Amino acid sequence: MTLARLRRQSIGYALIAPAMITVVVFLLIPIVLSAYWSFTDYNGVRPPTWVGLDNYTTLLTSPRFQRSIWNTIAFVVLGMGLGPPLGLATALLLNRAMRFRGVFRVAFFLPVMTSLVVVATIWKMLYNENGLINEILRLFSLPGHNWLSDPNTALPAIVVASVWQGFGFETVVFLAALGGIPRDYYDAARVDGAGRWALFRHVTLPGLRPTILFIYIIGIIGSFQVFDQIFVMTQGGPVNATRTMVFDLYDKFNSLHLGEASAVAYILFVILATLSWIQFRFFGERD
Amino acid sequence: MTARSLRRVALYVGLVAAALVMVAPFLWTVSTALKPSADVFASPPKLIPDPATLANFQDVLTLLPFDRYLLNSVIVTGAIVLLNVIFGTMAAYAFAKLRFPGRNLIFAVMLLTLMVPFQVNLIPLYAIMVRLKEATGIIGADTYFGLIAPSAVQVFGIFLMRQFLRSIPNEILENARVDGASEWRILRSIVFPLATPGMATLAIFTFIAAWNDFLWPLIVTSSDDMRTLPVGLALLARKNTVNWGQTMAGTVLAAGPMIAVFLVLQRRFIEGLTAGAVKDVG
Amino acid sequence: MSRWTQPAVALAAVALVVSACGGAASPAPATQAPVTAPPASGAVESPAASLDTTPVTITVWDYYGEATPIKPAIEGFQKEYPWITVKYEALDWDSMNEKFAVGVAAGAAPDVATLDMTWIPTLASNGVLEDLSTVSGGMLNGAPIAEQYNAGADEAMRYDGAYVTMLFDFDAYALYYRADLFEKKGIAVPKSWDELRAAAKTLAEDTNGDGKPDKSLYQVWPDTFHYSQFLFQNGGAILTEDLAAAAFNSQEGVSALEFNTSFIDDGSGIYWGPDQGDQMAGFKDGTLAMFQNGPYMMGVLKSGAPEMAGMWKVATAPFSKQPGSYLGGTGLGIPVAAAHKDAAWLFVSYMLRPEQQIGVYTYAGAAPATNAALDSPELTKADPYFGGEAPFGIFLDAMKTATHFPYVQSWAEIQTPTMDDAVAATLLGQGSAKDALDAAAEETNALLKK
Repeated sequence: MTLARLRRQSIGYALIAPAMITVVVFLLIPIVLSAYWSFTDYNGVRPPTWVGLDNYTTLLTSPRFQRSIWNTIAFVVLGMGLGPPLGLATALLLNRAMRFRGVFRVAFFLPVMTSLVVVATIWKMLYNENGLINEILRLFSLPGHNWLSDPNTALPAIVVASVWQGFGFETVVFLAALGGIPRDYYDAARVDGAGRWALFRHVTLPGLRPTILFIYIIGIIGSFQVFDQIFVMTQGGPVNATRTMVFDLYDKFNSLHLGEASAVAYILFVILATLSWIQFRFFGERD
Repeated sequence: MTARSLRRVALYVGLVAAALVMVAPFLWTVSTALKPSADVFASPPKLIPDPATLANFQDVLTLLPFDRYLLNSVIVTGAIVLLNVIFGTMAAYAFAKLRFPGRNLIFAVMLLTLMVPFQVNLIPLYAIMVRLKEATGIIGADTYFGLIAPSAVQVFGIFLMRQFLRSIPNEILENARVDGASEWRILRSIVFPLATPGMATLAIFTFIAAWNDFLWPLIVTSSDDMRTLPVGLALLARKNTVNWGQTMAGTVLAAGPMIAVFLVLQRRFIEGLTAGAVKDVG
Repeated sequence: MSRWTQPAVALAAVALVVSACGGAASPAPATQAPVTAPPASGAVESPAASLDTTPVTITVWDYYGEATPIKPAIEGFQKEYPWITVKYEALDWDSMNEKFAVGVAAGAAPDVATLDMTWIPTLASNGVLEDLSTVSGGMLNGAPIAEQYNAGADEAMRYDGAYVTMLFDFDAYALYYRADLFEKKGIAVPKSWDELRAAAKTLAEDTNGDGKPDKSLYQVWPDTFHYSQFLFQNGGAILTEDLAAAAFNSQEGVSALEFNTSFIDDGSGIYWGPDQGDQMAGFKDGTLAMFQNGPYMMGVLKSGAPEMAGMWKVATAPFSKQPGSYLGGTGLGIPVAAAHKDAAWLFVSYMLRPEQQIGVYTYAGAAPATNAALDSPELTKADPYFGGEAPFGIFLDAMKTATHFPYVQSWAEIQTPTMDDAVAATLLGQGSAKDALDAAAEETNALLKK
């Protein structure tokens, strides 16, 4: 071990120190405590009594919670299936020299700058019986619909609002990443006779690989925790059609079932940790 | 017309249509904010407010201590952005380019914290803040510290920057080390400049999240003069009804600074760096 | 501090003397109008000790929002009790529930909070709320608590016999109807379920020619508040007397839900889900001609639809067997974890004096809860908005025949989502009322066992 290497290592620790302190004090300690609560019947007032896996078994055998898990997965699959591809396509389109590029960027990014609560409120009005969407449909002689009261359309309706709000995020991240791919790679490939599609497949996509991994990991972690839109638009209805896991958490939290609420959080955690591990393992970088 | 310019026109038309879809709901928001309350639910709905009125904006500015909320939001958000960009990038560089024992494990643990819904941390975190306030009087619950500290360095930001920084070729760093540069020097003169588009992106996202954060500021503040904009604006709801005109006016006023920040950052950094880089790919 | 001790002791002495004499006016500031006192009840116990006047600061949390009756009262309170400083925190209704739970659990509970009556079962059963009988000695502003509220309200404030909250504003349902449309179509005010259905059918209009009525409809809310109204009116109950099992899937309960659904089935009612948006739009554009809701809607209509003055009137909710409604509202509560309970109680008592209680109506447009306030001429005078009638009396009657939700630990989950889902599923046509209620009863029984 050379002195230089030792010095580099200690600098590594120094560089991560501020992050470590913040994470340990404000995240890890609360997490450990709430993980403990998930094995108790804690209600916020009485000291907690150990109940082992009771909270977990109650939840996992409850049809309503099973529905929540299913709805959450459906939301994630739909959202992540639409969002990142849309974001990438938009980023590629905007990455050309064109007039008003800045204006377009602002337009696509405007929804991202808006809080989810405001977005959900606006879309709730758009989906209204007499709202913009039904009005436009009627303009084309198509029937209107009760988007948020129909169990079949409620969740997709929320997905649409969420994708509308979120794909601007992916657009901006991809745009910045595209800017980081060295120009020479493209020039070299063109010299070798590569056409448009080949350029995309062999230069752009590989160059974007770490970014794509990031987008999907962050996106999946985020979408699994969907709450604000559900709260504003449907409160989990109609009849559990849009009930999600974090909504369940919120419900149990407010009725002071803190043990069960924590259990919901850690079931979610296990799912996310597993999915992330899979993504890193199969799509991650070779170090 | 050549096929090429036809494609260009189609592209512009498509982009304009898409942009309209993105922007239309906001136009409606602004329209509602300008309507007197009798017109908000007029039937049939009026698209253009007539008469248009600034009363809702005036109400928001006078009914609430809007300037105080704005100041708090600016201070808290500014601090969070600054701290995240600096310390987040530093940590990200360490995770991306330096080797030290436990590096991967620590990074994995940090990522794991992202997967726990924030709600379950509310009570312990708030309890910590309450104790800090009792013990010290100046940091803890109902202080700027309480608002800023938990978000001072976010794992999301570290993750984002790490992915960006991985694309810096190792040779550049090795050459600099061989030339005798210290890691700090490398950070300052090589990494930070190269990471600028990433840092600008991080700044924007961190700004948005901090500016719009509702739950934690709601819980940690108890004095009206420590509140941030989202919490303050929520008060425009009465017990059983919502004043839509005022609420929308509040939303417009609160969004203004954010849009301004985005415009500045996106032009200066991202625009400047991608302008010459890649054209017509894909 | 010693500056204030003498006047405070004098005040306490006056209070002692006055209450010992048996029920004269409470020591209100001279500028207020005299209050009609509750009848003297013989030997009245005086408050336990003279007031402790060490300076304290109490935290008060309030979800009334911009139209609060509490904030304007603080100045007067601090004048009367100069050693108490009030730290006032305004929240909105949604945030209050969450913040209160966090505050209590994290050791930062307020001293006084406005609490929705539907949260009381959860809070009381978890031991969050202080026993107000102890803090108050059973007395409120010089007279026993029980004498200042009607029987239903008094019962609603108790959990396991002890007072856990003081009802501050009440919520019970009556029928709001478009009197102008009734007159135009020659409909009499409905008194029974059948008459209500007939009225709804006569009113419903199809104005866009698609075969389904779309205007002048009856508002059908898919929630437990509105279903329970019909359940009680039909002689049913939510739980059995011993609170051990569900009783809403009885014959009465099933017919109540079927009655609710009948409006959707024959097109005279509209399912008021999230696509319908804000009610105000429904009132103004004529979609809704009848709805059932609480007294606060009077204020909402007046401020949101002033141009409709004279078009709306209020009537007793039509019933099948007996008048009935859910009883809710807002209570003032003191957490067990509160730091200054005695001072908190002084604040609660102050807010329950008639002068402050009337503020519930004048500021928030809601209904005060104490008998003394409800007798106020302000509430019983003719209201030009409602056609010169005095709708308050109707709500008062509704309050007297209203039933509060069962105070069991799992009530929050029984109401939402268990019963809510049964109601919504039936209204959406997903199954029969009997099946939905039976399923909900099964879930409820499981919850009750825990």
